Amino acid sequence: MIELLLQFSQSIGIYQFMHSTWGWPVIESLHFIGLCLLFGTVGVFDLRMLGMGKAIPLIELHKLVPIGVAGYLLNVVTGTMFLSSAPDQYLYNPAVQSKFLFMLLAGINMLLFYATTAAATRATPAHASAPTRARFIAAVSLACWCAVIICGRLITYYRPPYHWCAWC
Amino acid sequence: MGFVVGINIAISLRLTGFAASIPLAPLRKFYPLHWWCVGLIVLSGIGLLLAYPAKALTNPVFYVKLLALTMALLISRYFQNFLAQADTAATHNRLIVKLAFLTFLLWIITITGGRFLAYTNSVLLASRFF
Repeated sequence: MIELLLQFSQSIGIYQFMHSTWGWPVIESLHFIGLCLLFGTVGVFDLRMLGMGKAIPLIELHKLVPIGVAGYLLNVVTGTMFLSSAPDQYLYNPAVQSKFLFMLLAGINMLLFYATTAAATRATPAHASAPTRARFIAAVSLACWCAVIICGRLITYYRPPYHWCAWC
Repeated sequence: MGFVVGINIAISLRLTGFAASIPLAPLRKFYPLHWWCVGLIVLSGIGLLLAYPAKALTNPVFYVKLLALTMALLISRYFQNFLAQADTAATHNRLIVKLAFLTFLLWIITITGGRFLAYTNSVLLASRFF
């Protein structure tokens, strides 16, 4: 797995760029900007579902979500650049594993939202509360994304091989 | 930081004219949480500064970040006052649109400055000067 990721990053120049003088901080900055786009749009939508700014109709606030999706895609690209440039530092890192776990939970939570509650939520008029299930999903979403941020910050403090990890 | 930048981005997007059907005035309800989180980043920032004062104070990037952050927060305060009296037609206020675009730039500088701090410091401990 490590060899495969290294081969991939070296073959298309990611490895060389990331290990240049400013490669890592530039991509870290883009990663954080992507995170803020995601958190600013999806997070504000979640806060509205939880009852903040009730005068805003949910269907209107949902128009910000594509910006959050763009932020997420930016983070997938930059995250892949980190992972493939130093795979041993990421794959065996318990903070990364926890981050992936919370991302997976956030993803399942989002699928659950669109499969079960999105239509009823979009129909919620201004000054009305979102359905109970939507509020629960919003709370889970905010908690998951906060956990993703916290785990992301912890990555540098749990570099292998000094810490426990699930598959090493 | 995620909440502070995130809420600012959402409000600035609306003020630039994106998703123009979102009513402006209720967006101010997100500011109390925003200012609580500003309090948290100020406290954690002071903690980090006290832990390694020489590392930050000898790095010009730190002052760039601090200036961009201060300006972005002053604009946030201005937006908060503006939203308190806003209606939908007020979106066409040119100054507000320019400030909203400036806000994006200031947050990018703040974030980038913060990340570059770890890579540009030339001094770690104040003991170097004694």
